[in-house]
Amino acid sequence: MKFKSKLASGLVIAGLSIMMSTSAFAWNEGGGEKDEAMHLTPDLENGREVYEVCSACHYPEGWGTEDGTFPQLAGQYRAVLIKQLADIRERNRDNPTMYPFALPESIGDAQALADVVEYISTLPMNPDNGKGQWAEGTAEFTQGKKLYDDNCVKCHGDHGQGDKVKFYPRIEGQHYKYMLRQFEWIRDGKRRNANPDMVKQIKAFSDKDMQMVINYVSRIKVDKKDLAPSKDWKNPDFD
Amino acid sequence: MSKKLILSIAAVCLSTAMGSAQALDGAALFKNPQKGGCTACHGKDAKSPIMPMYPKLAGQNSAYLLQQLKDIKSGKRNNGMTAAMKGIMHMVNDDEMKAISDYLATLKP
Ligand code: HEC
Ligand code: HEC
Ligand code: HEC
Repeated sequence: MKFKSKLASGLVIAGLSIMMSTSAFAWNEGGGEKDEAMHLTPDLENGREVYEVCSACHYPEGWGTEDGTFPQLAGQYRAVLIKQLADIRERNRDNPTMYPFALPESIGDAQALADVVEYISTLPMNPDNGKGQWAEGTAEFTQGKKLYDDNCVKCHGDHGQGDKVKFYPRIEGQHYKYMLRQFEWIRDGKRRNANPDMVKQIKAFSDKDMQMVINYVSRIKVDKKDLAPSKDWKNPDFD
Repeated sequence: MSKKLILSIAAVCLSTAMGSAQALDGAALFKNPQKGGCTACHGKDAKSPIMPMYPKLAGQNSAYLLQQLKDIKSGKRNNGMTAAMKGIMHMVNDDEMKAISDYLATLKP
């Protein structure tokens, strides 16, 4: 981890956060650190160094934990990762456990943000993500698919691929329990950076609807080229 | 089918028997993301915390550590900083907390 130019970057961030806080209430307004990070040329080597501390929770492979405490980061779009990190840093998305790691003192400036996100984007996805309880062929699976097709496709795509240009997260391959928690928080207004149109779309979802649709998402088959060769794959960059 | 069932029952029995008989590896638990990723905040050596105001743990006595872990998990200990750690405490049980505390107590402060 690098602490160089801590003061300078602290000042830059302070300035940026004043700029950003004026727009804190609209979903994903442009500008600020997020835009800056997105347009910098990333340094992969530094990204690997920054990622070391993240790996203590998200695993060196970026696969998170099946119990959903730590999400999988591998496979997620750079734009989405940057937005989420910036939101956590701005306290726009509550994450007390990770908050210290999103701070400029631990990650660094917008450049470091760009670097770590670039590094994460090189990681192949977990071929064995945590899944819901209803296998294909059950009534719940089928109903979940229907709910997905009717309510989610326009933003998260026909197979959960999301949309990197619009900051819509990729959700295929993510752990069931993590998604269930996020979905519930989005529905109930606890995740403050949520997309207001998604909130509207899922307002009427019962708990059972929620479990069925997320069960379906957790069972979407991710394209093999994005997956690690096996669930025992280890990231050779870390021991 | 029945053979498979018997086998898996045997496996379950074995693994529970092992779980209680075999000493848990506190060092491994302390570093395992599956068990909360303690090193992220407290440092790999348990004495270089990520934030200057977070506690160093190396060399502290085991009984004290164990009691703090239990209190943080139950919510009895709850100050402005506890929230950071509370979110991962569901990942460790009493035996694991004991093993980690014993391990931390063996480290040089
Ligand atoms: C102490 C454990 C911990 C560490 C270290 C940590 N994270 Fe996290 N991270 C979490 C938790 C817990 C969540 C999920 C919070 C929730 O449920 O909302 C999360 C969520 C995220 C998300 C949002 C994912 C999504 O799908 O929306 C991103 C991005 C992220 N982390 C990146 C990082 C990066 C980059 C680092 C290193 C600089 C890092 N994390 C270090 C615990 C950690
Ligand atoms: C109007 C567009 C829209 C619709 C419709 C929508 N979503 Fe979302 N969803 C989003 C956006 C945008 C985010 C990320 C919000 C943010 O920036 O934090 C998100 C976040 C999520 C997340 C959390 C992902 C993570 O990594 O933390 C899950 C899970 C999710 N959506 C599932 C669904 C499901 C299932 C449906 C259908 C029932 C749905 N969404 C409908 C736009 C949408
Ligand atoms: C997200 C950061 C974070 C993680 C992960 C974390 N801790 Fe902590 N830990 C803290 C903070 C902050 C405190 C101080 C809490 C307080 O003041 O109540 C603390 C306090 C403690 C204490 C009490 C120390 C004392 O002197 O009273 C022990 C013991 C401890 N942690 C052990 C662990 C173990 C074991 C793990 C892994 C299972 C762990 N921590 C994971 C942040 C963390």
